[in-house]
Amino acid sequence: MHNIYQPDLMKVIETRQQTPDVKSVKVRFLEEARGKEFSFRVGQFGIFSVFGYGESTFNICSSSNWKDHLEFCFRRVGCVTEALWSVEEGDVIGFRGPYGNAYPTEEWKGKNLIFLGGGIAMPPVRCAVWYVLENRADYGDITIVYGARSVADLVYVDELDKWAKHPKVRVVRCVDPGGETPDWKGEIGFVPTVFERAGVSAENSVALVIGPPIMIKNTLPVLYRMGILPSVVYTSLENRMKCGVGKCGRCNVGSFYVCKEGPILTMAQLARLPADY
Amino acid sequence: MSERPEFEPKIVAFVCNWCTYMGADLAGTTRLEYPPNVRIIRLPCTGRIDFNLIIKAFEIGADSVLVSGCHPGDCHYTSGNYQARRRWILFRELLQALGFDLERINFAWISAAEGHKWQQLVKEITEKTRKLGPYKDLYQISGSGDLASSGRGASRCAPTVPVEACGSGAWQCAPTDEAALRETCRRLLAEGKVKVLIGYGKRGPVFVTRPDDVEQLVWNDHCLANLTVYLKRKEIRALGRPAIVVKACDERALVVLEKESQIDRKEMHVIGMACQGMGQEKCETCDVRVPRFADEVMGEAAKQPAATGARWKSLESLLVLPTAERMDYWAGEFERCVKCYACRQVCPMCYCERCLVEKNRPTEIEPSATAKGNFAWHILRAFHLAGRCVGCDECTRACPAGIDLRLLNLSLAKAAEEHFAYRAGMDPKAELLIGAYSLQDKENFIR
Amino acid sequence: MSATISQAALRELVTEWIKQGKRVVGPREVKPGCVLYEPLESSDQLLLEGFVHPANSVKEFIFPKHEELYGYCITGNRIELIEVKPPAGEQVLIGARPCDAASMPILDHVFNWDYKDELYDLRRQLTTVVTLACTAHDDACFCTSVGLGPAAERGSDAMLLELDDGEYEVRCLTEKGKALFDGKLQASERVASVAAGPEKRFEAQQVWAFVKEHFDSPFWPSETLACLGCGACAYTCPTCHCFDIVDEGNIERGVRARNWDSCQFAMFTLHASGHNPRPDQPSRQRQRIDHKFHVYPEKFGEILCTGCGNCTRNCPVGMGVLSVLTAL
Repeated sequence: MHNIYQPDLMKVIETRQQTPDVKSVKVRFLEEARGKEFSFRVGQFGIFSVFGYGESTFNICSSSNWKDHLEFCFRRVGCVTEALWSVEEGDVIGFRGPYGNAYPTEEWKGKNLIFLGGGIAMPPVRCAVWYVLENRADYGDITIVYGARSVADLVYVDELDKWAKHPKVRVVRCVDPGGETPDWKGEIGFVPTVFERAGVSAENSVALVIGPPIMIKNTLPVLYRMGILPSVVYTSLENRMKCGVGKCGRCNVGSFYVCKEGPILTMAQLARLPADY
Repeated sequence: MSERPEFEPKIVAFVCNWCTYMGADLAGTTRLEYPPNVRIIRLPCTGRIDFNLIIKAFEIGADSVLVSGCHPGDCHYTSGNYQARRRWILFRELLQALGFDLERINFAWISAAEGHKWQQLVKEITEKTRKLGPYKDLYQISGSGDLASSGRGASRCAPTVPVEACGSGAWQCAPTDEAALRETCRRLLAEGKVKVLIGYGKRGPVFVTRPDDVEQLVWNDHCLANLTVYLKRKEIRALGRPAIVVKACDERALVVLEKESQIDRKEMHVIGMACQGMGQEKCETCDVRVPRFADEVMGEAAKQPAATGARWKSLESLLVLPTAERMDYWAGEFERCVKCYACRQVCPMCYCERCLVEKNRPTEIEPSATAKGNFAWHILRAFHLAGRCVGCDECTRACPAGIDLRLLNLSLAKAAEEHFAYRAGMDPKAELLIGAYSLQDKENFIR
Repeated sequence: MSATISQAALRELVTEWIKQGKRVVGPREVKPGCVLYEPLESSDQLLLEGFVHPANSVKEFIFPKHEELYGYCITGNRIELIEVKPPAGEQVLIGARPCDAASMPILDHVFNWDYKDELYDLRRQLTTVVTLACTAHDDACFCTSVGLGPAAERGSDAMLLELDDGEYEVRCLTEKGKALFDGKLQASERVASVAAGPEKRFEAQQVWAFVKEHFDSPFWPSETLACLGCGACAYTCPTCHCFDIVDEGNIERGVRARNWDSCQFAMFTLHASGHNPRPDQPSRQRQRIDHKFHVYPEKFGEILCTGCGNCTRNCPVGMGVLSVLTAL
């Protein structure tokens, strides 16, 4: 019997503390053969678990081009993430996936890409950024605007610098007013404001916006004013999940099952959904 | 050659840090030998001991449990042990009703200077348990050590008093009372004295906000629900100042809710309905019948004398069973439980924002509808209502699996009356039972 | 040409099935006034009359209220997963109502729409459903409003229809049904008459349209005030299938299991951040109607409701979906 709920065992190969309450974890399949045959598309998510505590849903924030490990990033807020916080190199955790849909990287080809991320929402943007950078020739100009409440809350900070080194990639980092440190060299302001100030061209552009609801709410008008239509503004919807395979009846937004038809969708699609998220 | 006995009892001791733990320590440092069968769990105070812990000890294999702390008057936190003592008295009654072997649970006061007493008691309990043998009831129910979930066996039914069908509609004066009720409500709404009226409709509770809609209200022998449960629901509170229709049994809930600072009686208008009985089991022995603290009362009360002496009658069929069979009975009842929590949601006293069973750091009560999860839940529910349950029996009526929850509530109500002369919701001036204590609380089971 | 069986012969068959080691499930009076679908220990426990619908549904026997998915053993940082044994052992549901039988083909969709839930599928395959056609209904029944009826055959392997003299006409509808009753039936000319079902209470199509168009309507808060947010409706419903996944055990070993869950519980959609897309009872009630009468039909072409009335009967405050649907 093939049990769809039974996870793969993953060995933790690295944990990194990104902020006071955020860690990223790299895992590899315990069974090498399984690791070799496994693949996923960038944007999909997995259900990671600590045995004894439970399962939790996280975006796979590593690029789908990387074959030797999977990575996810989490904030320490509840039972499972508290257990994940104590996980160390060499420990074994569970993984089910990949689930959900992926970023429409084919449709993005030839376009200029705008990535807007806020706080803990950077990881799902991160995998998209690495993916397009690895297929650099397929995509146009890339603009990345990433902000958090304070300097300490920025995740994958070291990678921001790496991205900026790529051709035609512009990285703007910002922190909320009051979140800066004396030696902060980046922008100060909320992501929507900083983005508007940045004067990015809207020509032939698509945008990926992931962040707290308030950030998205304020960013959309900026994008629309620039002339970027809702049908090309993408986001990754979060919702409480359990099974990840469309059976437990929990994550639906109207008739849109986030775990099956999402989590990636356009603002145009989102506008057609009821306010059930 | 001496034979090693096959069975080594496992004793779990929940002890307070300041007295008994020190006493056990003293026994050690003064080289007093006592059996190594005891495993000590140290807590700050006996007042902190949650009864789930005791149940859990048995679930994972304890054969006996000892609970021990500072002597009355010596508690490090002044009154923790008094609070504990009162709870122990009630908890033992619940355990008795459930069919636990009370020989397995021991309570004691052992001070930091009483190393000898610790040694003595541990020896005694170990030998007593050795003779009693292993205690497997809860261990087996919990499926501990066994990955296979317990199979779905047959349900055993102890003889119970059948629940009569809901009333026969033979009430005197009901239509007149109904008209009077509607008129009162119309007036209250029209004059703006209240914003919403919580009352009984044809099919169930109704929430009337417009004077003309009072025609929805009924008053008959199908008005079973305890409407006081709605006073704490946020969707109802949002509607504004309420008027609420209560029977005398429901009104007791108002008394308890106000004493527990959950409602302000001044913020609502209470319409009391004198009742002729709803045909429920509780009605046979009802001695309240007419609300005593309502803003106005209407209706006719039942005339026949209350059979209050028979209030514990339904418990008899349970208590007549020997202990082991009692636990079998409850195991059979709880097996049908699906964890729908209807019992919790209908109860006006279950108003916690987040119920203990919904907490997972740590998971104190397993949410699964397994024998273990169900036992733990029902013990928790019953015990958290000790001294607070007003006997409206809504939980029993609401249970879709037909579990006789009122037996658990009754056993604790009986304990409250017999030990403390306390009936929840009868006297607004009386001190609450739980949370209070008396220096005179009975001690005869505490060593 | 039809086939019949006497009650005595039917009970003998039940005894035989039990002897054969099959799990036989049927309506049983567990205590006076309380009829539930339960495993039968003997054929005299089977109740065939005197009730409209048991207080629970048959879904428990293909989709248990608690089901272990796998076990785990933890030694240091080594984990060993222990697979569950696939469901095994045949079972017969006898005396199921047509509304319960019909729920199973409806549920098949969601448990198989891409990933196949083999735990569920295997139980389905192992189950033979012998339905008992209804001769009466009560106020809570509304099977006719969702396209079913007192002798609806959906999901049944065989159907028993009461004849005037207390015997049953038996219609074997599938190979499984035929195999179960093989050689045990009398040939006959008698054909049972089918009782009239309940009157239609609402138009299912209109419900779909209403929910789509009136998502934010004050209808929801005003019509759902009585709901106390328990799970009695969902758990006794033959088609509700929402579940939770939990880990239970200690630091050395445990199981990961799935349990029934209900969209009516306050924490059902609660995010770890504290945000709750359905923060109050009206939005949760709306979800129930939405899921059953709009989302599921849209996705799978079938209403996620068979009109059995359990939700109304078991609701402590007399609600159930019927009260909302008739108010629409």
